[in-house]
Amino acid sequence: MNHEELKILVNAYYDGEATAEEKAVVETHLKECGECRKFLQGLRRLSSTLKNWSDESLSPDVSQKIHQEMGKFKEGVKMQNVYSRVSVTIATVVVVAFVAVFLNQNYYSLQMTGRLKSPIERDVKKYPDELAQKQQITVPESLGVRVDGLAKVEGDKAAMEFKGQKTDEAQQYEPYYLSSGYRIQQNVQPISPPTIEALTPEQETEQLAVRDVSRASLAVRSRQDEGGFQAQSYEAQTYGSTEETYSQELAKSACVSGWCGTPPPSPTIYYPQQTYYPPIYTYPAPSTTEEYGRIDENEFLDATQNPLSTLSIDVDTASYSNIRRFLNQNQLPPKDAVRIEEMINYFTYDYPQPSWGRPFSITTEVSTCPWNPQHELVLVGIQGKTLENRQVPPSNLVFLIDVSGSMADYNKLPLVKQGFKMLVNSLRPQDKVSIVVYAGSSGVVLDSVPGHDKYQIIAALDRLQAGGSTAGGQGIQLAYQIAQKNFIHYGNNRVILATDGDFNVGVSSEAELVRLIEEKRNQGIFLTVLGFGMGNYKDSKMEQLADKGNGNYAYIDNVQEAQKVMVNELGTMLFTIAKDVKIQIEFNPNEVKAYRLIGYENRLLAKEDFNDDTKDAGELGAGHTVTALYEVIPAGAFTFDSHRPSVDPLKYQATKVKRSDDLMTIKLRYKEPRSNHSQLITKEVNRRRMSWAPISDNFQFASAVAEFGLLLRDSKHKGNASYQSVLMRAQGALGHDPYGYRQEFLGLVQKAQSLDYRHRVNVYYPPNWSYPQPQPVPESDPIKFKGE
Amino acid sequence: MAQTDEELIIDYLRGNDKAMELIFLKFKVQVFNYAFRLLSNRADAEDVTADTFLAIFAKKYSYQPEVKFVTWLYTVVRNACIDRIRKRKKHVSLSVKNKEDNEAEGAQIDVVDEKAVPVENIEENERARQVQLAINKLPDEQKEAIILRAYHSMDYQQISQIMNCSLPNVKILIFRARENLRKELSFFMMEGAE
Repeated sequence: MNHEELKILVNAYYDGEATAEEKAVVETHLKECGECRKFLQGLRRLSSTLKNWSDESLSPDVSQKIHQEMGKFKEGVKMQNVYSRVSVTIATVVVVAFVAVFLNQNYYSLQMTGRLKSPIERDVKKYPDELAQKQQITVPESLGVRVDGLAKVEGDKAAMEFKGQKTDEAQQYEPYYLSSGYRIQQNVQPISPPTIEALTPEQETEQLAVRDVSRASLAVRSRQDEGGFQAQSYEAQTYGSTEETYSQELAKSACVSGWCGTPPPSPTIYYPQQTYYPPIYTYPAPSTTEEYGRIDENEFLDATQNPLSTLSIDVDTASYSNIRRFLNQNQLPPKDAVRIEEMINYFTYDYPQPSWGRPFSITTEVSTCPWNPQHELVLVGIQGKTLENRQVPPSNLVFLIDVSGSMADYNKLPLVKQGFKMLVNSLRPQDKVSIVVYAGSSGVVLDSVPGHDKYQIIAALDRLQAGGSTAGGQGIQLAYQIAQKNFIHYGNNRVILATDGDFNVGVSSEAELVRLIEEKRNQGIFLTVLGFGMGNYKDSKMEQLADKGNGNYAYIDNVQEAQKVMVNELGTMLFTIAKDVKIQIEFNPNEVKAYRLIGYENRLLAKEDFNDDTKDAGELGAGHTVTALYEVIPAGAFTFDSHRPSVDPLKYQATKVKRSDDLMTIKLRYKEPRSNHSQLITKEVNRRRMSWAPISDNFQFASAVAEFGLLLRDSKHKGNASYQSVLMRAQGALGHDPYGYRQEFLGLVQKAQSLDYRHRVNVYYPPNWSYPQPQPVPESDPIKFKGE
Repeated sequence: MAQTDEELIIDYLRGNDKAMELIFLKFKVQVFNYAFRLLSNRADAEDVTADTFLAIFAKKYSYQPEVKFVTWLYTVVRNACIDRIRKRKKHVSLSVKNKEDNEAEGAQIDVVDEKAVPVENIEENERARQVQLAINKLPDEQKEAIILRAYHSMDYQQISQIMNCSLPNVKILIFRARENLRKELSFFMMEGAE
């Protein structure tokens, strides 16, 4: 199949007109082909462009005039036409059909179709003269009253077959499909023409039998010529071929009686790669006391009812490194350890630098959603300003190190020391370092040593040893005291807490701790939390602390990660360029049916919080990139999957939608690090204004990471996400990757793929094979088209 | 519960006058816009709208209940439009190629921005005009198909019934129309691209 044909299919797919097979073909292809995804996106963009030519209103004068004209049809309606009388008869027939259904149980069990006497036959008997006189009579042709298992009588529908009046004028106006016979198959089998008057019961039964075969699709036309009411030629004009209908019928009745014909041959099962998957021995998960806060995924929200999506940015990266630890131990991470936004934000993206005077830039990109081509994925990227070395303000750092007994493991205290030593290497003379430790009680190891006195700092770090219980609360209080004492105005005052999160002595009342941290935050002392170790890791508590303390939270599982967090991205971690960064997005219901924020579950804000400067939100470090992804169901999309059921329309309120072809408006509020007043940045996103450039590496990679997250969470919104497509997209979008983080990601995906049994369904079915299943009763839609 | 369109028309055919009002109210804007998009002429479109409704209510055409009412209605409108164009005595073809050509032929083309509009709508109207011209440049069949699809949300089967052509044909028509429009409107969609 060449590309042109595929595009035609994609086009049909976009309109929701692809058959199941075509759909499968298109979706497989879309996964592989960036060009076609772009094409599909182009279709959406074109549709919203076309909407610019909106509906005109009909001028009231004309409307009035037509209305007046209509008035004259009001009288004499009943005299003029035969329709009303016929429809009354039809109603009667329907009733009769009902009665027939209840009388004749065979109809139920055999799913046969019954035919009742057509009204014209009765009419002929009743009013032969009257009918004969009328030259231009409308003859109801057949009354295929279908009776199916549910005793649902569709007589009303099938019975209303009229033939148009045969005046010349009428014919001229007659819709094409009424007059032209192209749809009617030529090879029809004529049925012996019974005269209407002489319909004996036997004949009727016979006819009934015949009609049973061809069901409602049988349309018998009678032509009435001058003189008498003799049917000249009775043709059974079936729209499909008779044989076919017959065999379907047979199969159906057979199914009813419990025999479903010859069963289709059992499918050959191919394993396309022919790979043998050795059973992987997964070590039984060690009993741990790790704690993760429960994450309930965001649902799709209706853009009319909930046009606003408000969130705080999240610069944490802990979840990704934690997941990496799990995968490196040959385990899948627990669902609640997977925070997709932290996975996405672990990586740095290549967004443009902000223009002068702004702390950050906003980038948006819209494209087809890779795991559900019916949807779109909107990327909102924020790039913090990168600071040059001389611009960096002096720092007052307090290392708060947990030296309790639980920190003795090789990947805890030794790693903490290693990490801080790396950090110390990049300190300058104007920076100040203090070290506070806590175990059973807390103490100051080093008080305000200048940054260039590296020997003293490293020696102090080396002396630390683990032992005792954990009075974390006390430690935090002391650390804040020291930080307060050495406070640098216009500097960067920060407590860096390194712990496994297990506080068991002293003020471990979480509420009290949080209150303390919030209070200090307002005085300008921020908190960074570095998580270490495993087994008793308290993810939920640490994230909360960092969140409240205007800080960030990273998880360090090995030396490479320590290098990343404490050296490569030190600036990002230490120097806040904007605080309380909140994003509010207003979706345009003209363009968006529903949307879903991917990740950020515990960062959602109430819509009122956006303009409330007292509400805390995330901080943005120098050179930080933050990425949010929205999965959007475009308005007018034909969604195949289950979108949340709609709410009843409001009774007392009418929502009026303003005309606009924007997709959405992004509003962003932030505060300068020492300010208490927020500033607003607004940006509109319009499909029309998006560039035609190919999908960027940023988008490809971020969407791959998100898809990976959906798979690990086994999300119900994962659509047709697969490890294969994650790998494919990520591989093509490695971009500038100096430290090999993205390369490492590929390795993790492969590892997860081999560990994850939930998604390993490699049974290949030949394209035309389907499960043997009872045929659905076809809709009684007798019109079939040439092309079908 | 609201009646379906099909129930409405059958109701009317049975002699319920109220159904007539309902049908008119429900479909007048739709019908007018369809005619307007096909004819690009307000007066003609108004005439067609009147013709259509009066013809339907005069029961000039028979309605077949197995066809959706909307489909049937659009078929009537379409035929009325063709009729209208014939009545212009073949001076003008249905294809309104572009404004200049047709002005030369003496036909009147109403473009969207003829009404007095507030200043802030000028840009909007300019966009609408661009789209209209691009659509008018399409070959007739593509134009009809894309109008039905894009502005009246008809599915392919309905389009094939209205236009009296096969389903695969509709598929191709819409695809081609979109390709052409994409080329035609590319400069315009690029506007302000990042």
